[in-house]
Amino acid sequence: MSVLILLIGFSILIAGGFLVAFIWSVKKGQYDDDYTPSVRMLFDDKPITEKKSSLTPKQK
Amino acid sequence: MQALEKFQYDNKIVRNFAFATIIWGVVGMLVGLWIALLMVFPQWNIGGIGVGKETIGLTFGRLRPLHTNAVIFAFVGNGIFMGYYYSLQRLLKTRMASDMLSKIHFWGWQLIIVAAALTLPLGMTSGKEYAELEWPIDIAITIIWVVFGWNMFATILKRRERHLYVAIWFYIATFVTVAVLHLVNSFELPVSFLQSYSWYAGVQDALVQWWYGHNAVAFFLTTPYLGLMYYYLPKAANRPVFSYKLSIIHFWALIFLYIWAGPHHLLYTSLPNWAQSLGIVFSFTLIFPSWGGMINGLLTLRGAWDKVREDVILKFMVVAVTAYGMATFEGPMLSLKTVNAISHFTDWTIAHVHVGGLGWNGMLTFGILYWLIPRIFKTELFSKRLANFHFWIATLGIIFYAVPMYWAGFQQASMWKQFTDAGQLKYQFIETVTYMKPFYAIRSFGGFLFLVGAIVMMYNLFRTATKGKLVSNEDAEAPALEKSFSQHAGEHWHRKIERRPIPFLIATLVVILIGGIIEIVPTFLIKSNIPTISSVKPYTPLELQGRDIYRREGCYTCHSQMVRPFRSETERYGEYSKAGEFVYDHPFQWGSKRTGPDLAREGTLNLKKTDSWHFNHMDDPQAVSPGSIMPAYSFMLDKELDTASTPAKIKAMRTMGVPYAEGYEYTANKDLMNQAAKIQSNLLKDSIRVKPNAEILAIIAYLQRLGTDTEKNKIAENKN
Amino acid sequence: MEDLLVKETKTRKKIEVKCYHCGEVCDTSISTDEKYFCCEGCKFVFQLLQENGLCNYYELSDKPGIKVKGKFSSQRFAYLDNEEVKRKLIRFDDGRQCHVSFYLPQMHCASCIWLLESLHTIDTGILFSKTNFQRKEVFIDYDTSKISLRKVVELLAFIGYEPYISLNEGEKKKTKKISRKKIFKIGVAGFCFSNIMMLSFPEYFSSGNIGQADLQKVFSYLNFALSLPVFFYSANEFFISAWKGLQQKWLNIDAPIALAILVTFLRSVYEILSGTGAGYLDSMSGIVFFMLVGRWFQDKTYDSFSFDRDYKSYFPLGVTLIKNEKEETSTINQLKKGDMILIRQNEMIPADAFITEGEGNIDYSFVSGENAPLLKRKGELVYAGGKQLGASIEMEVVNPVKQSYITQLWNNDVFTQQKNHDKSFIHPWSRYFTLILFLIAGSAALYWGINDPSKILPSVTASLIVACPCSLLLSATFTFGNMLRHFGKNKFYLKNSSVIEALSRINTIVFDKTGTLTHSSQANVVYEGEKLQDEEINSIYSLVKESVHPLSRIIRQELICSHPVQPLQVNSFKEIAGKGIVGSVNGKQIKLGSKQFIEGNESTTSLSQTGEVYFSVNGIKKGVFKISNQYRDGVAEMINSLAKKKYRLQVISGDNAAEKNNLESIFGRQAFIRFHQSPQEKLNFINELKSKNSKAKVLMLGDGLNDAGALKQADVGVAVSENTSQFTPACDAIMDSNEVHKLHKFIQYARSGKKVITWSFILSILYNVVGLSFAVQGLLSPLVAAILMPVSSISIVTFVTVATSISAKRKGL
Repeated sequence: MSVLILLIGFSILIAGGFLVAFIWSVKKGQYDDDYTPSVRMLFDDKPITEKKSSLTPKQK
Repeated sequence: MQALEKFQYDNKIVRNFAFATIIWGVVGMLVGLWIALLMVFPQWNIGGIGVGKETIGLTFGRLRPLHTNAVIFAFVGNGIFMGYYYSLQRLLKTRMASDMLSKIHFWGWQLIIVAAALTLPLGMTSGKEYAELEWPIDIAITIIWVVFGWNMFATILKRRERHLYVAIWFYIATFVTVAVLHLVNSFELPVSFLQSYSWYAGVQDALVQWWYGHNAVAFFLTTPYLGLMYYYLPKAANRPVFSYKLSIIHFWALIFLYIWAGPHHLLYTSLPNWAQSLGIVFSFTLIFPSWGGMINGLLTLRGAWDKVREDVILKFMVVAVTAYGMATFEGPMLSLKTVNAISHFTDWTIAHVHVGGLGWNGMLTFGILYWLIPRIFKTELFSKRLANFHFWIATLGIIFYAVPMYWAGFQQASMWKQFTDAGQLKYQFIETVTYMKPFYAIRSFGGFLFLVGAIVMMYNLFRTATKGKLVSNEDAEAPALEKSFSQHAGEHWHRKIERRPIPFLIATLVVILIGGIIEIVPTFLIKSNIPTISSVKPYTPLELQGRDIYRREGCYTCHSQMVRPFRSETERYGEYSKAGEFVYDHPFQWGSKRTGPDLAREGTLNLKKTDSWHFNHMDDPQAVSPGSIMPAYSFMLDKELDTASTPAKIKAMRTMGVPYAEGYEYTANKDLMNQAAKIQSNLLKDSIRVKPNAEILAIIAYLQRLGTDTEKNKIAENKN
Repeated sequence: MEDLLVKETKTRKKIEVKCYHCGEVCDTSISTDEKYFCCEGCKFVFQLLQENGLCNYYELSDKPGIKVKGKFSSQRFAYLDNEEVKRKLIRFDDGRQCHVSFYLPQMHCASCIWLLESLHTIDTGILFSKTNFQRKEVFIDYDTSKISLRKVVELLAFIGYEPYISLNEGEKKKTKKISRKKIFKIGVAGFCFSNIMMLSFPEYFSSGNIGQADLQKVFSYLNFALSLPVFFYSANEFFISAWKGLQQKWLNIDAPIALAILVTFLRSVYEILSGTGAGYLDSMSGIVFFMLVGRWFQDKTYDSFSFDRDYKSYFPLGVTLIKNEKEETSTINQLKKGDMILIRQNEMIPADAFITEGEGNIDYSFVSGENAPLLKRKGELVYAGGKQLGASIEMEVVNPVKQSYITQLWNNDVFTQQKNHDKSFIHPWSRYFTLILFLIAGSAALYWGINDPSKILPSVTASLIVACPCSLLLSATFTFGNMLRHFGKNKFYLKNSSVIEALSRINTIVFDKTGTLTHSSQANVVYEGEKLQDEEINSIYSLVKESVHPLSRIIRQELICSHPVQPLQVNSFKEIAGKGIVGSVNGKQIKLGSKQFIEGNESTTSLSQTGEVYFSVNGIKKGVFKISNQYRDGVAEMINSLAKKKYRLQVISGDNAAEKNNLESIFGRQAFIRFHQSPQEKLNFINELKSKNSKAKVLMLGDGLNDAGALKQADVGVAVSENTSQFTPACDAIMDSNEVHKLHKFIQYARSGKKVITWSFILSILYNVVGLSFAVQGLLSPLVAAILMPVSSISIVTFVTVATSISAKRKGL
C-alpha cells in the first residue's frame, strides 16, 4: 500500500500548510476582534450621496 | 493623502457565472432526469451513432458521468464562482485584481464544461468516478484553477479591509485542497490524445480515487458552500452570524482534519482492514465540525423565524442548511461497517448524495441566486409567488426523490441478502431489478419536480434581469487600508504596510510543490508490494481492448467488480475478491453501484456463460434476460475494433509495471486476431456470423476472462 | 392630599413621546419633519446625520442615539490642543497623518459601529476609522492638515460618543500578546493531536500489525515528529510552573502533570526509536490539548471591563490654567501649587484648591457618596474629585492631584501589594494525589522487583502515564470557566476564577448605600400640598428643565412620566446654588427650593440635606416635593435571606443620615450602620473587621471612587454599576446594579462550585483506578491509554459543564 505514503504525505502537508496559515493569522491579529467583523460584513459600502435623506423611520 | 477611495465592483463577471450556473444547472438536471428515465424505459437508450471511428452513445453508462460532471463542476462549480466573485470583492472592499483573469477563468471554465459535454458521450473517459475527464481536459482544469487562485490571492493582496472574513478562509481552503486532490488523482499516462491509463493500479487506484472522491465532496461541495453560507445567510437575514467565534473554530477544526477523508468508501473491499477502520473513525469525527457549521447557520436565524416565514430566500437557505445537517449526519452513519454492509452498492447511497446535492447545494444556490440577481440588476425580483412556487416544488421534489430511494435501497439490500430455508439465495438478481422499477419511476417524478422548479426559477430570474438593468460596475467607496500600526493597541508601529497573505500564498505553493515531489517518489515504489497471486496474469491484447470498451461504455456505473466477504455475495458471485487480483487493473473498475450484478467472477463457475449468450445479451439484453434494464449494445456487433492502438496500450502498460515482454507490442495484434478468431468460430457454431475484428469479440473476451485467474489457482490446488 | 401622585402612578407611561434619536421619554416641543426630540442636542445630531445622508444609522437599529449630556462649552476640549496632551494620546504621527484610539463607553449597537466607521463621510479629514465593539474602542486615522485632534474629539462628542480621556491615558496594557500565545499553543497542540490520533489508529485497528513494516515505521516516526512541538512548545507552561513551584518548595498541581507528560514522552520516544512499540504520544498530546483548552476556557475575560482602575481613570487629562488674565491649557500632571485654574460647569475639580472667583455648587457624590451638592463660597477649600454643577469658577491650587486629599487613599499600601487570594483548594488535593500515586508506583515496582524485574520499568512508567492528574485540572478549569459564564449571563462579571473560590468563603458582607442599595439617579417623589393645575405643572416642568441640579432632574423626570407636559417660555431664570431656582412663567413668578428659600429668610442649610423641595407661585407657597432614596427592587428580600443564612451584614455610607430609618427597617434595628464615612474610614473599617476576627472573609459592595479602598481591602470587592459601560473602581468583580438583589444566589452558586469539582474528582479517581489496575500489571497498551484518556477527559468536562449549568438553574440564575 505504498500509495498510502503518498496520500498521508499530502494530507499532512496540506494540514501543515494550514497550520502555518493559522499561526500567521493569529499573529497578525486577525482574531483580536472576534465580533465586529460579523456585523461589519452586513454594511454596504455604497457611496453616500449628500442629502439623500427624508428616510421614514422604521418603527419596530 | 486621499481619505476615501472610490472604486467599482465588477458585477459582470458575477452575472456571467450566475447565468452559467442557471443554464448548466438546468442542463445537468435534465440529463439527470433523462438517465433516471432510462432506468425505467431502457429501450430509450440510444447507442453507437458513428462519428468517424468514434461513436456517440446516449446510453446510461455514458450519460451518467455527464450528469455527475454537469451538476458538480458546471452547476455547483459556477455557483461557487458566482458566490465568490460577488462576496470576495465586497468582503475585501476592492475590485477583483484583474478583469482579464476573471474573464479567462469564466470562459476557460465554460470551455472545459463544453469539452466534457462533448467527450463524455463520445466515450472518452478515464473510467474513474467524478474524475472521468481525459488528460487534456485535466490539464486545462489545472490551468484554469491556477488562474482562479491567482486572481483570488491577488485580490486579497490589494484589499481595503484588513480582516479576512471567515468565508474567505473557506474559499482559500477550497482552492488549495482541490488543486492538490486534482493533481494527485489525475496522475495518468496518456496512450493517445484523449486516452490515458491511471498510473495507479487496482487497490492503490481505488484508494487514491476515493481519497479524491470523498475530498471532492468535502472541498468542492462542502467547504466552498459553507463559505457562501457564512456570507449570504447573514446578508439575507440582515443579522450577524450567531457566533463568529464558533465559525472561526469551525473552520480550523474542519481544516485540520478534513483532508484525511476517503477510505470509508471502500469498506469490505480488498483494502486493508485497518485502512477501512481509519476511514470510519475519520468520517465519524467529521460530524462535529459539520454540525458546528449547521448549528451556527440555523441559530443565526433564531428570533427571526417570522422573517423566514415571509422571505423565500431564507426558506431556501433554511432547507439547505437542514439538508446539510441531515447529510452530514447520515454520512458518518453510512461509514459504519454494519450500515455500510447494507447500504453500499444500493440506491441508498444515491438517495444520500442527492439529499446533499439537491438539498444543500441546490437549495443554497437557488437562495443565493434569488438574492443576488435582483441586486446586481438593481431591481425587485420579478415574481415572489413564482419563487415561492419554486421553493415548494423543489422541496417536494427532494422528498419524492429521497424517500423512495431510501426505501428501495434498503429493500434491494435485503433481497440480495435473503436466503431460503434450504440455504439457497431467495431472489435472482433480475428480480431485485424488476422490483426497483416503480421506485425508479417515482424517483424520476421527484427529479422532474425539482427540474420544473429550476426552470421556473430560470424564467423568473430572466424576467427579473430584463426588468432591471445590469450594474456592470457598481460604485463603492471605502477608506484605504489603514497603515498596519493601527491594527491593534500599540503593536507594530513600523510603517511598512504588511502584505498578509503572501506568506500564506508561499506556504500553499510550497505545499503543492513538495506535493509534486512526493508524488513522483512513490510512483516508483508502486511496483506494487501487494501480495501478488502467482496465477494472476496480465490481460491478453484482446481482453485489454475489451476492457477499454468496458470502460468507454461506463459499465462500471452499473456493474461492480468487487465481491465482498458476505455469504450472500460469495453464494451469488463466488469467492470474495483479493487485493492481488487487481494488480494489472489500470484503472480499477470496482464500481460503486450494483444496478446490474457484480461481474468480478463473470467468467467463472456457475456464472460462466457461452460466447453466444454474451453476443445475444449485448445485442438485446431484454430478450436474453427479461426485465433487464440494460441498454442494448448492438452497435458493437459490427463496429470495428481499433487494433491500431494496441501497441501503444501494451507499451503504456509495461511502463506502469505490467509484465509484458519487451517488444511484445509488435506481435500483440497477432495474438489479438487469433483470440478473436477463436471466439468468432465459437459464435459460428451457434450460426452467428460476425466480422473478425468486431468490438463485440473484445468485450466478450474480457467478460469471459473476469475472475478466471484465481479460478485457475483453485483448479491447481484441487489437482494437488 | 397626595392622591394626585397616586393617581398618576397608575396612568404612568400611558402617554409617551420618545426622542427619535435617543429614545428618551420627552415632550413634543422639539421636532423636525414629524420626528420628536428630547433636546436640541439630539435634534442637531439628527440633522447632521441627515445632511450627510447617514440616516441609515436609524434604520440599522431602533433609536440608537445617545443623549448628548448637557451642552458643553466651546472650550471643553481646548486642552486637546496642548502639545503635552497630544503626545500622550496620539499613537502614531508621521507629520501628515495621525493615529489615535479612544475608549467609547457609549458604543452599544450595530448603528454605533456603522456610524463610527462612516466618520469620514462627515469630515474628510478623517481618513479611516474602525471599531472594536467588544472592547468599545475606536481607531481613527486623521489628516493633520485637515483636522485637529481636538476637532476629532469634538465631532465624536457632538454625535454622542464622547471619548473617555482620563489621566490614565497613555499607560497601555499589553494583555493581548499573552492571550495570543495561548491560542498558538492550543492551535499547535490541536493540530498535532488530531493528526497523531489519525496516524495512531492504523496501529490500533490492525491490533499492532499493519502488515507493511515500512508503513508502521512511517506512522510512528511521523507521530514522533508531530509530538515534538506539543512537548517543547505547547506543554512548556506546565514544566515552567511546576519548576517554579518546586523552587518555592511546594508541589502545585502542575508538578504531577509535568511529570506525567515527561514520562509519557520519554517512554514513547524510547519505544519508537527502539521499535518496540508505538508509544503513547496520542494520549500525551491529547492531554496537553485538553488542558490548554481548559485553561483558556477558564480565564474568560470581559474585554470592555477593566478591573484595575485607580483615581487616574477618573480625573480628566487636561485642565484650563489662567496665566496673567489669559486662558491656557495644560495637563493635570503639570499643575503646581499656586496655579490658577478655571473650572467650567460639569467639570471635575482636578486638585485641592481654594475658590477665588465665583460660587461653587459641588457634587461630591462620586468621591464621598454624599448625594447632595455642597455650596462652597469664595475662599473655601474644595477637595479634588468634586464636580462643579454651577457656573464657571476660578480656583487656586493647594495640592496637585497626586497629593490631594482624595488620592491619599491610594498611598495606602493595599494598592501597592497584590491581593493574594488563599491558594486554591485543588493544589493540596493534587499533593495527596501525587503522594498516593508514588506509593502505588513504588509498590508495583517492589512487587515486580521480586517476581519479574523486567516488568519494573513498564509498570512504573505506565502508572505515571495513566494516572496523570490532568482530570483534576480539567474539572477545576471547566467548572470555573462555565461558572464564570453563568455569572456573566446574570450581569455579574468576575475578574477571574479565583474570585469564585473567594466568594464561596465569604461570611461577612459590607454594603455601601448610595448607588448600591439605592438607585443613584431615580428617587421617590411624593408631592404634598394643593392639587396642581396643569398650568402649574407645566411651569414647574419648564423651570426645572433649565436647571442641572440633581433634584431638578428628578422632579423633571417625575413630571414628564406622569403628565402630558408642555414646556412654556421661562423668563429671568436664576439658579441660586444650594437654595433653589426661580423664574417667571406667563408673568407668574415661580420659585422652587428649600423652605427658607421659598419663605425668603436666610439660612445656610443646603436644601438637599432634607430632600424637600418647596414651590411657590408669586410668593405663595403651594406645596412640597418630598424626595427620598429609592431602594432597588428585591434588596429587602436579598438582605433577609442573607441574614437567615447567618451572614454578618453591615452598611457604611458616605451619605448623610437621612435614610437611617429606612435602612434599619431593612437590616433590623440592631444592624450596624454608619454614615458620613470618608473613603479612608471605609478602608479602615474593612481592616478592622479582618483584624478583629481572622476568620472573617469580607465581601464589600460599593459603587464609587469613595469605596475604592474598601473594595481593594475586602477579600472580594464588588463594584456595582448602573450601566456596565460606566467606570468602576478597582475591584474583583463588577455587578450590574439591577442584579444586586441576586447577591445571595450568586454566593450560593459560588459555593456549589466546590461540590461539583469534588464530585468530578471522585469520577476521575475511578478512571485512575481502572487505568492503574492495567498499569501496575504492566499491561497498559497504548490502545487502553488512548481510549481512557479522551473518555475520561470528555466525560469529566461534560459532567462539570452539565452540573454547573443545572445548579445555576436551581439557584435561579
